[in-house]
Amino acid sequence: MFPTIDWSLISLETAMAMILVFLVVLDIVLPKKTTKDWIGILSFIALGGLIIFWFTQTGLAGTTFSGTFIMDPMAWFFKAFFLVTGVFVFAMTQEFFKTLGERRNEFYLLLWLALIGMCLIASSVDFLLMFIAIEILTISLYVMTAYLKSDKLSIEAGMKYLILGALSSGFFLYGISFIYGATHSTHFDVIQSFTANNPMTGFTLMAMVMIFAAAGFKTAAVPFHMWVADVYQGAPTPVTALLSVGSKAAGFVFLMRVFLGAFGGWHPQWAMTLAIVSAITMTYGNLVALYQTNIKRLLGYSSIAHAGYLLMGAAAGSALGVAGINFYLLGYLFTNIAAFLVIIVFSVVTKSDEIADFAGLSKRSGLLACALLLALVSLAGLPPLAGFFGKFILLMAVVKSGYLWLALVAAGNIIISVYYYLMVAKRIYVDPAKSTSPIAVGGGMQLLLVIAMVAMLAIGIFQGPFFDAAMKAVLPGLR
Amino acid sequence: MIAPNLSWILILPTLGLVLLCLIPASNERLLRGIAKLTVLVPFLLSIWVFMAYDHLNGGFQFIQNIPWVTPLGISYHLGVDGINSLLLLLLGAVSFAAVLISDSVKESLKKFYILLLLTVISTYGAFLSLDIFFFYFFHEIAAVPVFLMIALWGSARREYAAIKLTLFLVGGAAIALVGLIALYLYSGAQTFDLVQLQRYVAIHPIPAATQHWIFLLIVLGFGITLTLWPFYTWAPVGYAEAPTAISMLHAGVLKKMGAYAIIRFALQLMPDAAHFWMPIIAVLAIFNIVYCGLVALTQRDLKYILGYSSCSHMGYILLGLACFNTIGLNGVVYLMFAHGIMAALAFALTGYVEDKAKTRNLDELGGLLKCMPFIGTCFMMAAFASAGVPGFANFVAEILVLLGAWGQYPWLTVLAVFGLVITAIYLLKAIRLGFQGPLPQRLAGLSDTTSFAAKFPYVMLLALLIVVGCLPSIVLTHIASSTKVIIDSIK
Repeated sequence: MFPTIDWSLISLETAMAMILVFLVVLDIVLPKKTTKDWIGILSFIALGGLIIFWFTQTGLAGTTFSGTFIMDPMAWFFKAFFLVTGVFVFAMTQEFFKTLGERRNEFYLLLWLALIGMCLIASSVDFLLMFIAIEILTISLYVMTAYLKSDKLSIEAGMKYLILGALSSGFFLYGISFIYGATHSTHFDVIQSFTANNPMTGFTLMAMVMIFAAAGFKTAAVPFHMWVADVYQGAPTPVTALLSVGSKAAGFVFLMRVFLGAFGGWHPQWAMTLAIVSAITMTYGNLVALYQTNIKRLLGYSSIAHAGYLLMGAAAGSALGVAGINFYLLGYLFTNIAAFLVIIVFSVVTKSDEIADFAGLSKRSGLLACALLLALVSLAGLPPLAGFFGKFILLMAVVKSGYLWLALVAAGNIIISVYYYLMVAKRIYVDPAKSTSPIAVGGGMQLLLVIAMVAMLAIGIFQGPFFDAAMKAVLPGLR
Repeated sequence: MIAPNLSWILILPTLGLVLLCLIPASNERLLRGIAKLTVLVPFLLSIWVFMAYDHLNGGFQFIQNIPWVTPLGISYHLGVDGINSLLLLLLGAVSFAAVLISDSVKESLKKFYILLLLTVISTYGAFLSLDIFFFYFFHEIAAVPVFLMIALWGSARREYAAIKLTLFLVGGAAIALVGLIALYLYSGAQTFDLVQLQRYVAIHPIPAATQHWIFLLIVLGFGITLTLWPFYTWAPVGYAEAPTAISMLHAGVLKKMGAYAIIRFALQLMPDAAHFWMPIIAVLAIFNIVYCGLVALTQRDLKYILGYSSCSHMGYILLGLACFNTIGLNGVVYLMFAHGIMAALAFALTGYVEDKAKTRNLDELGGLLKCMPFIGTCFMMAAFASAGVPGFANFVAEILVLLGAWGQYPWLTVLAVFGLVITAIYLLKAIRLGFQGPLPQRLAGLSDTTSFAAKFPYVMLLALLIVVGCLPSIVLTHIASSTKVIIDSIK
């Protein structure tokens, strides 16, 4: 017998899949010589419509597909997050691939596929669906990463990401099979009641380590971070932005659903491991970031460091910790998007991602310099920007759960990170410019930059409503 | 008297800041005018707040309280008592003088004023906030503008100085942040509101063992801001290389936020730990006074002398904090004000000399009294104030601190008095080398300030020092109304 499906719960994914199919057909029938970027424009309109639609659906709740697919406040929150990310990444693509012509169309289709994958991850409460969702996201990312066929770095990045990604998928599957062996299920709620009533054994521990490897790969936690710097540098910049914001957030949903949800019963035994991984990840990311000369690599290592900060919330394992992760990611979204928008506009004009070439940016474009400065300050976690309050909640969560030492390690890391972020700020504001030709910023890009800057400031100053939203999107049952 | 609305002290200059952002950079006169107005308005409001504060009733007044992040107990809570109403006055005077003397800045004026005003507004916010979260929030906003201002408009080693100062301050703040979060969590009051916390802790004190480490984190963190020995090394180089306005504001006001935070969050909320740690801090304070004073003796750069001198004088503040009696704490708050005005005045005068003579090295200066009688006289008076000559506010403050410390730490007090002698030596040396003796040929053409407008900032600061020094009761009644509560809660 076939289970009944509640289509209203998966309305978003269904709509996105239909849009994708429509765009595929359109891509085939469109005359090859059209100069107008139809797919891009339609994607934009569709995304805008979906966001409006999604904000009317705040009350969606329930499970479907035999309990493998859930709509809860956390799923809603992260789907909204991914849609907003999508808008920015589509806009970046339009700017970045201006010169690419029709080949750009397939890129849009892959982006849609990645979006569908991310939205599915947010809703998965079964290992099989989770695996499929992660593969949908990752496989489209492999292709997008290697999209610049003539660029050696892009090919290398794609290759590296593919090999390590496939390895982590293998670990993930292997881990799932172990868990199935132990619990006779792939459902998170079944596993959750199993972990609540049974002690952790060596057998299940091995499974958890393997699944953690997959989560670590997606979130860029040490020691599963090897791909980050090269992939961030080599991938087309919109893909880097997607990796650092969307894919990381998806990784954290995965981590939270699995390690705080399914394996919630064993969290007390795991918390110390998570705390240690968190401490090592942030320290490693920040220390290596000190020596970077390429802005995309710098943001790559900084992204590792931020994974470390975010893991503090998972180590705390409390409602406050999860709210901290949610809030932090929200601030991180606009912060990183602002940084990558600047990098894209800059690199389209100057063909360079070297930090040295950013010297004197403030004299070439006040807006770009200001946006990058705000993004850097927010990444460093200084008020009044979004990054500060995120770190504040996470610090509070770990101190509350008794990891004072982790909070102090994080405080030390903030000092290290302030150094390299401010060195970039110094370059753009203090150092003399190599070239004084102004950098023109198009109207659309200006609008997006201003939106990202206003969002960073708004989240950082009027924290209340955003914190409420983040608190609402906490897994049920956490305290 | 109508009660002032404290939010205007933040809102009006913020509007000025926005206006400043919208004016084209080419319109210099308008930029300067708006910048001056933007600091004058909160200064006048601060004077009003200071006059309107009723010291007979004491406590926090003109309170505004808006819930901000309710689940975490964060609220936008403004209010003043005798301590921060005085600090507002200090900030108002110093920031106004700092903007006035910035007429000598010519490069990228718009950016300069935007960053300077951001620093000033955030400091106002910190002093006005009665919420621990918002205090930290505002206090930390200043970090980036100060960094950029030193790196952009500083002197020779500006980049090194900027990053060193910022790393120390952000580092101290990060440590203090962990302490403040722990204070929130372990007090059990579920609020960042200082007033509620005070009430709650008075009834349910935090366990002594917990107090110990939280206190240490907070005092260490904010101690770095207050140039606690041996974490003072950022200050001399930072102040020396910074543009004059930032040297004035930072040495005069911003570092006092450290002392303010220690009084409010550490001493008052964790008395047990205070009795345990403060005697150790008192010993470090003597290192501040004597060691930094001796280092100042060896300097040839006028701004470095003032920088080390400033670190040395923070020792008196730290010593006063360790006294646990009203006289000592009154002295601390008095000294925060007196030193703030004096340091701002001294840095402003040095900035003038450097701007004209293109050097601050005492070996290349000399006889400046001959060509700049006004500036030279002001500098001598600032030096006398700093050395604790009666008639200036610093004398009253230092006497109070020493009297307060005498009962607790007689030997340390003797050493602290010795520190005043050191101050007198290095400042007299600076005067002799820089302002007396023959005027080098190279400096013969230098001119003094001529117009009243140019003299005004110096006269204003000097007048404050003398008036408050001769009539201590003007500020002492305010201070005493609030310190008594704190001392009572510590005992």
